[in-house]
Amino acid sequence: MYPFGKGLSRHLPLLLLMLPLALYVIFGIGPSLATVFFSFTNATGLPGVDWDFIGLDNYKRFFFSSDSGDRLDAAGRSIYFALAVVFIQNAVALFMAVIINRKLRGDVFYRATFFLPVVLGVTVAGLVWQMVMNPFGGPAQTVLNWFGTSSNFFGSYNVAFEMIIFVQIWMYMGYSLVIFLAGLQSIPKDMYEAGYIDGTSRWQSFRHITFPMIAPAMTVNLLLSIIGSLQTFDIIYVLTGGKFFTRTLAFDVFGTTFGNTTADYGLSSATAMIQFVFVFAVTIVAVIYLRKREVEM
Amino acid sequence: MKRFTLLMLSLILVFILAACGGNNNNNNTNAANEKAPATTDDKAEAPAEVAKDEPITLKIIHWQNEGTNKFYEEFNKKFTEKYPNITVDYTTVPSDATYDQLQQTRINANDTDLLAIKSGFASVPQDWSPGAQDPLWKQWIDAGLIADLSNEGFVDQYNQVDVENSTTYNGKVYGINLGKVSFTGLFYNKTIFADNGLSVPTTWDEFTKLVADLKAKNIEPIGFAGKDVWPINLAVQGLQASIHDDQLTYIKGLWDGSTKYTDPVALEVLDKSQWMMKNAISGFMGVDYGSLPGLFASGKVAMIADGTWDAPAIATANPDLKFGYFPIPGSNDAAKNKDLAGKYDMSWMVLEKAKNKDAALKWLAMHSETEHYTDFTNASGFLPTQDNIPVNSEFIKELAPNLTNFKLAWDQLFINRQNVGDYAKDSSVHAEFLAPAGPIATTKELADKSQKDWDAAK
Repeated sequence: MYPFGKGLSRHLPLLLLMLPLALYVIFGIGPSLATVFFSFTNATGLPGVDWDFIGLDNYKRFFFSSDSGDRLDAAGRSIYFALAVVFIQNAVALFMAVIINRKLRGDVFYRATFFLPVVLGVTVAGLVWQMVMNPFGGPAQTVLNWFGTSSNFFGSYNVAFEMIIFVQIWMYMGYSLVIFLAGLQSIPKDMYEAGYIDGTSRWQSFRHITFPMIAPAMTVNLLLSIIGSLQTFDIIYVLTGGKFFTRTLAFDVFGTTFGNTTADYGLSSATAMIQFVFVFAVTIVAVIYLRKREVEM
Repeated sequence: MKRFTLLMLSLILVFILAACGGNNNNNNTNAANEKAPATTDDKAEAPAEVAKDEPITLKIIHWQNEGTNKFYEEFNKKFTEKYPNITVDYTTVPSDATYDQLQQTRINANDTDLLAIKSGFASVPQDWSPGAQDPLWKQWIDAGLIADLSNEGFVDQYNQVDVENSTTYNGKVYGINLGKVSFTGLFYNKTIFADNGLSVPTTWDEFTKLVADLKAKNIEPIGFAGKDVWPINLAVQGLQASIHDDQLTYIKGLWDGSTKYTDPVALEVLDKSQWMMKNAISGFMGVDYGSLPGLFASGKVAMIADGTWDAPAIATANPDLKFGYFPIPGSNDAAKNKDLAGKYDMSWMVLEKAKNKDAALKWLAMHSETEHYTDFTNASGFLPTQDNIPVNSEFIKELAPNLTNFKLAWDQLFINRQNVGDYAKDSSVHAEFLAPAGPIATTKELADKSQKDWDAAK
């Protein structure tokens, strides 16, 4: 009747849950609510400095001030970044997962190798690629020189942003791959055998058996990469510092908060809220679509 | 089971109370360590005594610069020898946005005793710049976060004109500026110049000929640290200092509309900046600032655009390298090109509510002693702001003729409008957008964009 006993013991599970709940409220929900609050103020974050409620002024400033064009450009770049990362990362990860799932010799090695960048972390990954793409003697430049060309890589207005997208995909492709592999390994073998008896080609087998069966893994991967890419600012900070037209909306939140000219917590909080609504809206649409797709499949 | 439940409940309550009450504890500690601010009447010869046996950790934040970091590591050891109860926690991070972030978070959390800012007090809004945003240092002072040092005896060690011009605000001294630097010149490799019979140019025509001569001999003439962008602006400011007749008048004109970014004089600056970039080493936009001294010291380029503060780093990268520094000759009038421009560089500030304010003042007092200050100037390559300091550096001694009329550079004079767009942001002139560094082909196109952003922010 009472699996945890009677009296206070009955409430033990709830009490134990209070600890993580308290942590979550103090370090998670609390600061998030504070961000909503500060987005309607002119707070600078400096201790002892008075601040006032200024209504929607920070939001108006974001959308309608003289430098709003730069912020909207950054938002556009966020969308471009997310689209590129979500499609390329998942396509490559799925392709690699299907190959590795064929019981190749050394598949564990390949899996570990592809997952390694995830473990390295942003700073190390940034350092590695800055060395590879050093315009003076870096291996990438040497290869370009063979073809009679050269590049400034992360110092180029033309390619810096695409280079960051490449590094982002390189870093997290292994993560998507592992999730796809788990999905692939859960597909019953007899489905493929039935298909084989019916004379399906490899492509038909992938299209009509594999792809529908990994729909849950696809949903997880797409959602993680959509949310992750829209929130990315760290690799941009490490590789270009937001220069060379590489600022995204998420980077702007950081730049406004910790810029070298002023402390403007009100505007940065408003930017963070806009970023949140943006990510939330995209995620909700994606969840609805992906769930519907899963059911259909 | 009940006891266990009660224990868990108690632990949760203790945790929540501890989390909510942490700030009060800190405040109490602060209060215990704080001393009453000095009055204007009792000018202190030395900071108040710290209890001798009380162990103290003095927190200092600074940015990475090889020469000065080495000096401070040695100086901090000497400081601890003199004050055995004080341990110095000297934190350094890269001088880019990382330091800006560290500065803000430590100030907001009152988690440092001393901090350095990268210049003197520049960019204070003036009558002619209505609506301009207060610089961060002014916001800190206005918020009462920075200690008033006016009555500290060690301030008298410094040249009072420099104190007035560098770290005085509203008649009070809020910092100690440690020296001036110039950044409107080019470092040059004396050996390459001598081997090829080349001399230091004093006019733009001589400079273009020098570059052509170097290229004719397959020597890369100029190196920039383009990846960090701001080092390109050092050369731009060299051109501004020698092309403009009066930079301040031009800047004031931008505010009242009597001058524009599209004026011939401004276009000349951009044209010559673009010319320098076109003649720079291929791949310069991929060079980060930390690699620039090494690039120059290796002899791969004959000249680099950099500030005099990097002389110690160049010397460390190649102790045998013979190098000098000359002002970028932006005009064809040698007299106009002669003077270097620059800024008051590093200034130390003490936090008003610092946990160890007395120790911080002792540290500044000892730093200001002639012996240590002399060591500092020789390690940093700064031009001293104390009088009668013997400068050992041959590099600095050679600059003397170009420093007789030292003037402030563009970014120390310029005051920007709020919410200005990218093409007129920060110090407002952005040659990095020009080809071959950036995507804009012509200087007129960039000037139009800058003017548009400037006008929009009115």
